[in-house]
Amino acid sequence: MTHWMFNCKEVSRKVSLSLDTSLPLHQRVMIRMHLLMCRYCNRLRKQLLILREAVRLEKIPEDTGGQPEGLSGAMRERIKKAVREALP
Amino acid sequence: MYLLHTLYFNIVRCPENFSIFATLKTGIAMSEKQSETTSPIDNPATWVDAYGDFLYRYALSRVKNTSIAEDLVQETFLAALKSRRNFQGRSTARTWLIAILKHKIVDYIRKKVREQTSDKVELRLDAAAGDSVDTGFNSRGGWKSPPAKWGGNPTELYEQKEFMEILYHCLGELPERQARAFMLREIDGLTTDEICKALGISATNSWVMLYRARMQLRQCLEANWLESEK
Repeated sequence: MTHWMFNCKEVSRKVSLSLDTSLPLHQRVMIRMHLLMCRYCNRLRKQLLILREAVRLEKIPEDTGGQPEGLSGAMRERIKKAVREALP
Repeated sequence: MYLLHTLYFNIVRCPENFSIFATLKTGIAMSEKQSETTSPIDNPATWVDAYGDFLYRYALSRVKNTSIAEDLVQETFLAALKSRRNFQGRSTARTWLIAILKHKIVDYIRKKVREQTSDKVELRLDAAAGDSVDTGFNSRGGWKSPPAKWGGNPTELYEQKEFMEILYHCLGELPERQARAFMLREIDGLTTDEICKALGISATNSWVMLYRARMQLRQCLEANWLESEK
């Protein structure tokens, strides 16, 4: 890699940064060029996006594996009582 | 209709305030909010019936223990009650409650991990966690151990119970402030400015923390999940 191009370490930082703020055009171009040539950095970018998506996920598995599907009656009442008592 | 009106107002009447993202976000939040007429956020008495079972199943799918899942749901409702005034309608009530629950789950896992670890080992682990990001590259900035291929497409990954379980475990293993920064950004969707205010750090510092958190999470997942796949 020549000095005017980002190395993998720099690209990994910039890819993460691009998830939090917008980068200047020339940096975006340099990252894109690097990603075209480097499958590992490309892989990293995809994986960071998967992590983002996964923690934002609200879906729950359909298969509960035999576990109860909801709060037990007693627990429901206990929580309701706790919420009532905490209300101002 | 509301969305069109907001777009008109922002572009034509107040161009200086125009932000397509903010507009869409607000518009979506408003339309979702309007559809939630049966369980308004301002009526906590209805929360347990409206969201209790969903939150419980969510917690159970992450912690695998019924009594802990129940406790986490109760803690979530009580925390929501305290921070009710901060709910700005940027999301639906359910999304807001799940975000609080996710923080509770990670706090629980962290506590569990830390209980099994002495303070000295914990400090060493935190330091090593930071170093591992830098040592992942050679002196010329190339990969020492490149990212492995993760099988399947994202949707298939999320369907795998182990993937999500290990992801939460890895979140619980991150140094506390890094995990906090990561969750504020990714779960609560806070901007850099908001994260800086919440944690009392500079923008550059927050980006470094987020970078380290993401890289360590990725490494942790790869080490534990890919290993369990073999």
